[in-house]
Amino acid sequence: MWRYLRLYLHFLKFSFSRSLEYRMDFWFRIVMDCVFYIVELTFFTVLYQHTDMLGGWDYDQMLIFVSGYLVIDAIHMTVFSNNMWWLPIYVNKGDLDYYLVRPVSSLFFLSLRDFAANSFLNLIIASGILTWSILRYPGELGAANLAWFLVLIVNGGFLHYILQMYFQIPVFWTHTNRGLMTAFFTTGKLMERPDKIYPKWTRRFLMTIFPTLLVVALPARVLFDGPSLQLLALILGVTAIAFLGMRSLWSIALRGYSSASS
Amino acid sequence: MSISLFFHLMNLETKKLMSYRVDFWLTMLVNLVVNLLVLWTLWTAIFNESGKEVIGGWDLDGILAYGVLVFLTGRIVRGGDLQMAVSNDIYEGALSRYLLYPRQYTVTKYAQQLGNVFPDLLQSLMMGCAAIPLLVNSSTASVTPLSIAMTLPAILVAHLLFFLLGLIPQYIAFWADNVWSLSVLLRFVTMLLGGATLPISLFPDQVQEVLHWLPFVYLFEFPTMVALGKVGMSEYLQGIGSCLLWCVLVGAASIPVWKRGDLRYTGVGI
Repeated sequence: MWRYLRLYLHFLKFSFSRSLEYRMDFWFRIVMDCVFYIVELTFFTVLYQHTDMLGGWDYDQMLIFVSGYLVIDAIHMTVFSNNMWWLPIYVNKGDLDYYLVRPVSSLFFLSLRDFAANSFLNLIIASGILTWSILRYPGELGAANLAWFLVLIVNGGFLHYILQMYFQIPVFWTHTNRGLMTAFFTTGKLMERPDKIYPKWTRRFLMTIFPTLLVVALPARVLFDGPSLQLLALILGVTAIAFLGMRSLWSIALRGYSSASS
Repeated sequence: MSISLFFHLMNLETKKLMSYRVDFWLTMLVNLVVNLLVLWTLWTAIFNESGKEVIGGWDLDGILAYGVLVFLTGRIVRGGDLQMAVSNDIYEGALSRYLLYPRQYTVTKYAQQLGNVFPDLLQSLMMGCAAIPLLVNSSTASVTPLSIAMTLPAILVAHLLFFLLGLIPQYIAFWADNVWSLSVLLRFVTMLLGGATLPISLFPDQVQEVLHWLPFVYLFEFPTMVALGKVGMSEYLQGIGSCLLWCVLVGAASIPVWKRGDLRYTGVGI
């Protein structure tokens, strides 16, 4: 455990020094993410010009929901995104060999090696937006609700990574993941909407089989309605099962990997 | 560049994209299902919870038709998105090859981008057929064969405008080490301000006025409104003319950036 933590600290150090080498990209990426935040907030602000409630949430609740989504996106961009970008390239060029021979978990190494330091600043900005949206909320939010919400947001960031890996790993067999990644980013729209707008069976599907609603919509429900044992067990249980499934899929993929041109 | 060479380049690019058939069908299926689901659930919820019959000049069927058509036409227009096509040529030194050819680099790239459009066009046609039931019941919009025929030139000029808008961020690659963020930024801005995310009529009045002075509405809103039969002939011609004027302005703005960048280019990549 400590070995992995030390290794991760090295990853952080290298990532920060590398990102500072490319200063223009550093700033471009910050501006890009800020514009993304503005677009997301504007979208819901315009919608609420025409309705008072959406999916059972008023504008103040929606702001917290959207801000939670922005934090999860920032976590993803900071911790996982660069690594997800490189993975199919490593597989197709055979560069994966270098990571498989190292005496650490290949999944750990390939998922966390590249920490996007420029996006880290955006994570701070997104967290600031979330803090602001919570502070301006006119209702009462219990401390337990808030604590669980924050835990589940971190869990949501992890679940988002797991879901993306399900779309990445098939590259071991398909050679290109362009279609799969387009499909993944398209399905991202499902998690950006409140869960209550979906019909019953779609909602069930999105909470279990393809658990995209567990990323941010249900954590927001926990914040507003309080943590129920059933809801917490569902979110954490499905995340654990999804992770174990993803790890098994990764092992199967590695067994079928035959170096370059795989 | 001769017309035959232009079409040959288009053809090559189309063949390249169509060679990944699983990608083709997968993206089409997921795009269709997810976009229809999100569109239908979101707007049904908004109309139900607000208790309104008409929002921003649209009834529920009308806004669903707008959503479907802006998605379908938008996919074709965004086929003009260069993504990293030019910047990669600069970073990898591949631009040298094009500079030696007796053809204009920008026109070559445009031919390739048009080739990219064909799979999107095919997908949009197939998805349009599947989504037709959503398009026929509205009292605030009507799709007719004439409106569809009028949409094609609007999409073509919108595609050209999108391509030209993407040029300057790509040319920044002569100076900057990575311009991926700029391309994505452009996509975010054009989607919101061009009416791809929401119909412009839902924005506050003052914002709408400003947006109609910008080029972005010609990318997504204009072709969609034409398809929905909400644009008269004189307004249509004026729209096409304005879009072409923006193409000239944006294209002209990119020339000095290209010239300055070309002087910096060393041909060895970055």
